[in-house]
Amino acid sequence: MPDNALYYRLAYAATLLLYAGYAISLAWRRARLARQRAART
Amino acid sequence: MTDSPSPTTPSRRLDPVALLAALAVVGAYARAIWFTPPERIQGYAQKILYVHAPAAWVAFLAFGLTALAGAGWLFLKDERLDRFAESSAEVGVVFTTAVLVTGPLWGRPIWGTWWTWDARLTLTLFLWFVYVGYLVLRGAVTGRESRARASAVLGILGALLIPFIHLSVYLFRTLHPMPVVARPEGPSMPPVMLTTFFLCFFAFTLLYVALVRARVAYAAERDALEDAAQG
Repeated sequence: MPDNALYYRLAYAATLLLYAGYAISLAWRRARLARQRAART
Repeated sequence: MTDSPSPTTPSRRLDPVALLAALAVVGAYARAIWFTPPERIQGYAQKILYVHAPAAWVAFLAFGLTALAGAGWLFLKDERLDRFAESSAEVGVVFTTAVLVTGPLWGRPIWGTWWTWDARLTLTLFLWFVYVGYLVLRGAVTGRESRARASAVLGILGALLIPFIHLSVYLFRTLHPMPVVARPEGPSMPPVMLTTFFLCFFAFTLLYVALVRARVAYAAERDALEDAAQG
Protein backbone atom coordinates (compact mmCIF):
# COMPACT_ATOMS: atom_id res chain seq x y z
CA MET A 1 0.00 0.00 0.00
CA PRO A 2 1.45 3.43 -0.94
CA ASP A 3 2.50 5.75 1.87
CA ASN A 4 0.34 8.83 1.14
CA ALA A 5 -1.46 9.48 4.43
CA LEU A 6 -0.10 13.04 4.52
CA TYR A 7 -2.35 14.05 1.60
CA TYR A 8 -5.54 12.80 3.23
CA ARG A 9 -4.63 14.43 6.54
CA LEU A 10 -4.05 17.71 4.72
CA ALA A 11 -7.39 17.36 2.89
CA TYR A 12 -9.32 16.68 6.11
CA ALA A 13 -7.60 19.54 7.95
CA ALA A 14 -8.19 21.95 5.03
CA THR A 15 -11.92 21.15 4.77
CA LEU A 16 -12.39 21.37 8.54
CA LEU A 17 -10.64 24.77 8.59
CA LEU A 18 -12.69 25.99 5.64
CA TYR A 19 -16.08 25.03 7.12
CA ALA A 20 -15.20 26.20 10.63
CA GLY A 21 -13.76 29.44 9.26
CA TYR A 22 -16.92 30.14 7.29
CA ALA A 23 -19.15 29.39 10.30
CA ILE A 24 -17.03 31.76 12.43
CA SER A 25 -17.24 34.46 9.74
CA LEU A 26 -21.04 34.19 9.81
CA ALA A 27 -21.12 34.50 13.61
CA TRP A 28 -18.76 37.49 13.40
CA ARG A 29 -20.90 39.23 10.77
CA ARG A 30 -24.06 38.71 12.84
CA ALA A 31 -22.29 40.06 15.93
CA ARG A 32 -21.20 43.13 13.94
CA LEU A 33 -24.81 43.72 12.86
CA ALA A 34 -25.94 43.41 16.48
CA ARG A 35 -23.37 46.07 17.49
CA GLN A 36 -24.60 48.39 14.70
CA ARG A 37 -28.20 47.87 15.83
CA ALA A 38 -27.26 48.58 19.43
CA ALA A 39 -25.42 51.74 18.38
CA ARG A 40 -28.54 52.99 16.57
CA THR A 41 -30.86 52.54 19.56
CA MET B 1 -35.90 28.96 4.21
CA THR B 2 -35.52 30.46 7.66
CA ASP B 3 -35.47 34.08 8.70
CA SER B 4 -34.76 35.21 12.23
CA PRO B 5 -37.93 35.28 14.38
CA SER B 6 -38.00 39.06 14.24
CA PRO B 7 -35.58 41.24 12.26
CA THR B 8 -35.43 43.77 15.07
CA THR B 9 -34.78 41.28 17.87
CA PRO B 10 -32.83 38.39 16.33
CA SER B 11 -32.47 35.14 18.22
CA ARG B 12 -29.09 34.57 19.91
CA ARG B 13 -29.86 30.93 20.74
CA LEU B 14 -27.83 28.19 19.08
CA ASP B 15 -29.73 26.71 16.17
CA PRO B 16 -30.46 23.01 16.95
CA VAL B 17 -29.84 22.17 13.27
CA ALA B 18 -26.35 23.72 13.59
CA LEU B 19 -25.67 21.59 16.69
CA LEU B 20 -26.90 18.46 14.91
CA ALA B 21 -24.81 19.30 11.83
CA ALA B 22 -21.67 19.85 13.95
CA LEU B 23 -22.19 16.48 15.67
CA ALA B 24 -22.83 14.74 12.33
CA VAL B 25 -19.69 16.25 10.75
CA VAL B 26 -17.52 15.30 13.75
CA GLY B 27 -19.01 11.77 13.63
CA ALA B 28 -18.40 11.50 9.88
CA TYR B 29 -14.76 12.65 10.20
CA ALA B 30 -14.19 10.25 13.13
CA ARG B 31 -15.65 7.30 11.22
CA ALA B 32 -13.68 8.12 8.06
CA ILE B 33 -10.38 8.56 9.96
CA TRP B 34 -10.51 5.81 12.60
CA PHE B 35 -13.18 3.30 11.60
CA THR B 36 -12.80 2.96 7.82
CA PRO B 37 -9.90 0.98 6.37
CA PRO B 38 -7.70 2.47 3.64
CA GLU B 39 -8.13 1.14 0.14
CA ARG B 40 -5.51 -1.47 -0.89
CA ILE B 41 -4.26 0.13 -4.13
CA GLN B 42 -4.71 3.88 -3.51
CA GLY B 43 -3.81 3.73 0.19
CA TYR B 44 -4.94 6.44 2.62
CA ALA B 45 -5.39 8.99 -0.19
CA GLN B 46 -8.61 7.16 -1.12
CA LYS B 47 -10.14 8.52 2.11
CA ILE B 48 -10.16 11.97 0.47
CA LEU B 49 -13.21 10.69 -1.44
CA TYR B 50 -15.29 10.93 1.77
CA VAL B 51 -14.85 14.72 1.94
CA HIS B 52 -14.46 15.43 -1.80
CA ALA B 53 -17.56 13.78 -3.29
CA PRO B 54 -20.03 15.04 -0.63
CA ALA B 55 -18.64 18.58 -1.04
CA ALA B 56 -19.27 18.32 -4.80
CA TRP B 57 -22.82 17.05 -4.19
CA VAL B 58 -23.55 19.92 -1.76
CA ALA B 59 -22.09 22.48 -4.19
CA PHE B 60 -24.40 21.22 -6.96
CA LEU B 61 -27.34 21.22 -4.55
CA ALA B 62 -26.51 24.76 -3.38
CA PHE B 63 -26.18 26.22 -6.88
CA GLY B 64 -29.24 24.31 -8.12
CA LEU B 65 -31.30 25.79 -5.29
CA THR B 66 -29.77 29.23 -5.96
CA ALA B 67 -31.08 28.98 -9.54
CA LEU B 68 -34.51 27.78 -8.39
CA ALA B 69 -34.80 30.55 -5.81
CA GLY B 70 -33.63 33.10 -8.40
CA ALA B 71 -36.27 31.87 -10.86
CA GLY B 72 -38.83 32.05 -8.06
CA TRP B 73 -37.82 35.65 -7.33
CA LEU B 74 -38.23 36.62 -11.01
CA PHE B 75 -41.86 35.46 -10.84
CA LEU B 76 -42.85 36.35 -7.26
CA LYS B 77 -40.50 39.24 -6.33
CA ASP B 78 -40.34 37.82 -2.80
CA GLU B 79 -37.27 39.14 -0.94
CA ARG B 80 -36.99 35.92 1.07
CA LEU B 81 -36.24 34.03 -2.16
CA ASP B 82 -33.48 36.49 -3.03
CA ARG B 83 -31.97 36.17 0.45
CA PHE B 84 -32.07 32.39 0.14
CA ALA B 85 -30.43 32.49 -3.32
CA GLU B 86 -27.67 34.78 -2.02
CA SER B 87 -27.08 32.55 1.00
CA SER B 88 -27.11 29.28 -0.92
CA ALA B 89 -24.67 30.67 -3.51
CA GLU B 90 -22.22 31.80 -0.81
CA VAL B 91 -22.34 28.43 0.96
CA GLY B 92 -22.02 26.72 -2.44
CA VAL B 93 -18.81 28.66 -3.11
CA VAL B 94 -17.41 27.41 0.22
CA PHE B 95 -18.17 23.79 -0.71
CA THR B 96 -16.81 24.22 -4.26
CA THR B 97 -13.61 25.60 -2.71
CA ALA B 98 -13.45 22.39 -0.65
CA VAL B 99 -13.81 20.37 -3.88
CA LEU B 100 -11.04 22.36 -5.58
CA VAL B 101 -8.70 21.98 -2.58
CA THR B 102 -9.27 18.27 -1.91
CA GLY B 103 -9.20 17.23 -5.59
CA PRO B 104 -5.55 18.20 -6.17
CA LEU B 105 -4.61 16.67 -2.79
CA TRP B 106 -5.93 13.36 -4.15
CA GLY B 107 -4.55 13.92 -7.67
CA ARG B 108 -0.96 14.47 -6.55
CA PRO B 109 -0.37 11.00 -5.02
CA ILE B 110 -2.68 9.11 -7.43
CA TRP B 111 -2.16 10.87 -10.79
CA GLY B 112 1.27 12.31 -10.02
CA THR B 113 0.05 15.86 -10.70
CA TRP B 114 -1.84 18.49 -8.70
CA TRP B 115 -3.97 19.61 -11.63
CA THR B 116 -4.84 18.77 -15.19
CA TRP B 117 -7.01 20.81 -17.57
CA ASP B 118 -9.49 18.05 -18.26
CA ALA B 119 -13.23 18.68 -18.71
CA ARG B 120 -14.42 17.83 -15.17
CA LEU B 121 -11.76 19.87 -13.37
CA THR B 122 -11.87 22.84 -15.73
CA LEU B 123 -15.67 23.08 -15.67
CA THR B 124 -15.68 22.86 -11.86
CA LEU B 125 -13.15 25.70 -11.67
CA PHE B 126 -15.32 27.67 -14.11
CA LEU B 127 -18.39 27.02 -11.91
CA TRP B 128 -16.46 28.40 -8.91
CA PHE B 129 -15.54 31.55 -10.87
CA VAL B 130 -19.16 32.03 -12.03
CA TYR B 131 -20.51 31.99 -8.46
CA VAL B 132 -17.65 34.08 -7.06
CA GLY B 133 -18.68 36.51 -9.84
CA TYR B 134 -22.28 36.18 -8.63
CA LEU B 135 -21.22 37.28 -5.14
CA VAL B 136 -19.10 40.14 -6.54
CA LEU B 137 -22.08 41.24 -8.67
CA ARG B 138 -24.30 41.31 -5.58
CA GLY B 139 -21.77 43.51 -3.83
CA ALA B 140 -21.51 45.87 -6.80
CA VAL B 141 -25.21 46.54 -7.50
CA THR B 142 -26.78 48.85 -4.91
CA GLY B 143 -30.52 48.79 -5.68
CA ARG B 144 -32.13 45.82 -3.97
CA GLU B 145 -34.46 44.95 -6.86
CA SER B 146 -31.90 45.37 -9.66
CA ARG B 147 -29.40 43.36 -7.58
CA ALA B 148 -31.91 40.55 -7.14
CA ARG B 149 -32.82 40.54 -10.86
CA ALA B 150 -29.23 40.54 -12.15
CA SER B 151 -28.08 37.90 -9.70
CA ALA B 152 -31.15 35.70 -10.39
CA VAL B 153 -30.25 35.64 -14.09
CA LEU B 154 -26.58 34.86 -13.37
CA GLY B 155 -27.56 32.23 -10.79
CA ILE B 156 -29.77 30.46 -13.32
CA LEU B 157 -27.15 30.62 -16.11
CA GLY B 158 -24.41 29.35 -13.78
CA ALA B 159 -26.47 26.33 -12.75
CA LEU B 160 -26.66 25.23 -16.41
CA LEU B 161 -23.05 24.08 -15.95
CA ILE B 162 -24.03 21.47 -13.35
CA PRO B 163 -25.37 18.75 -15.72
CA PHE B 164 -22.33 19.25 -17.99
CA ILE B 165 -19.97 18.79 -15.04
CA HIS B 166 -21.86 15.70 -13.88
CA LEU B 167 -21.86 14.14 -17.35
CA SER B 168 -18.37 15.32 -18.33
CA VAL B 169 -16.80 11.96 -17.42
CA TYR B 170 -19.08 10.31 -19.99
CA LEU B 171 -18.99 13.05 -22.65
CA PHE B 172 -15.24 13.71 -22.76
CA ARG B 173 -11.99 11.81 -22.39
CA THR B 174 -11.07 12.72 -18.83
CA LEU B 175 -8.66 11.62 -16.12
CA HIS B 176 -11.35 12.02 -13.46
CA PRO B 177 -12.62 8.66 -12.15
CA MET B 178 -16.07 7.38 -13.13
CA PRO B 179 -18.70 7.25 -10.37
CA VAL B 180 -18.14 4.44 -7.88
CA VAL B 181 -21.55 4.62 -6.19
CA ALA B 182 -24.16 6.17 -8.53
CA ARG B 183 -23.79 3.75 -11.41
CA PRO B 184 -26.30 1.40 -13.08
CA GLU B 185 -24.60 -1.83 -11.95
CA GLY B 186 -24.56 -0.72 -8.31
CA PRO B 187 -21.84 0.61 -5.97
CA SER B 188 -18.36 -0.89 -6.30
CA MET B 189 -17.36 -0.26 -2.67
CA PRO B 190 -17.32 -2.67 0.25
CA PRO B 191 -20.13 -2.03 2.80
CA VAL B 192 -17.84 -0.48 5.44
CA MET B 193 -16.66 2.18 2.97
CA LEU B 194 -20.13 2.68 1.53
CA THR B 195 -21.56 3.36 5.01
CA THR B 196 -18.88 6.01 5.63
CA PHE B 197 -19.54 7.48 2.20
CA PHE B 198 -23.29 7.87 2.86
CA LEU B 199 -22.70 9.16 6.41
CA CYS B 200 -20.46 11.89 4.97
CA PHE B 201 -23.12 12.77 2.39
CA PHE B 202 -25.71 13.08 5.16
CA ALA B 203 -23.40 15.08 7.47
CA PHE B 204 -22.31 17.59 4.81
CA THR B 205 -25.88 18.04 3.52
CA LEU B 206 -26.95 18.82 7.09
CA LEU B 207 -24.00 21.24 7.37
CA TYR B 208 -25.25 22.97 4.21
CA VAL B 209 -28.74 23.32 5.75
CA ALA B 210 -27.29 24.75 9.00
CA LEU B 211 -24.98 27.22 7.22
CA VAL B 212 -27.73 28.42 4.88
CA ARG B 213 -30.13 28.91 7.82
CA ALA B 214 -27.52 31.04 9.59
CA ARG B 215 -26.68 32.97 6.40
CA VAL B 216 -30.36 33.66 5.62
CA ALA B 217 -30.88 34.90 9.20
CA TYR B 218 -27.88 37.23 8.77
CA ALA B 219 -29.25 38.56 5.45
CA ALA B 220 -32.68 39.18 7.02
CA GLU B 221 -31.11 41.10 9.93
CA ARG B 222 -28.94 43.13 7.52
CA ASP B 223 -31.92 44.06 5.32
CA ALA B 224 -34.00 44.99 8.38
CA LEU B 225 -31.22 47.27 9.60
CA GLU B 226 -30.96 48.89 6.14
CA ASP B 227 -34.73 49.43 6.09
CA ALA B 228 -34.62 50.99 9.56
CA ALA B 229 -31.74 53.28 8.50
CA GLN B 230 -33.80 54.50 5.53
CA GLY B 231 -36.70 55.23 7.89
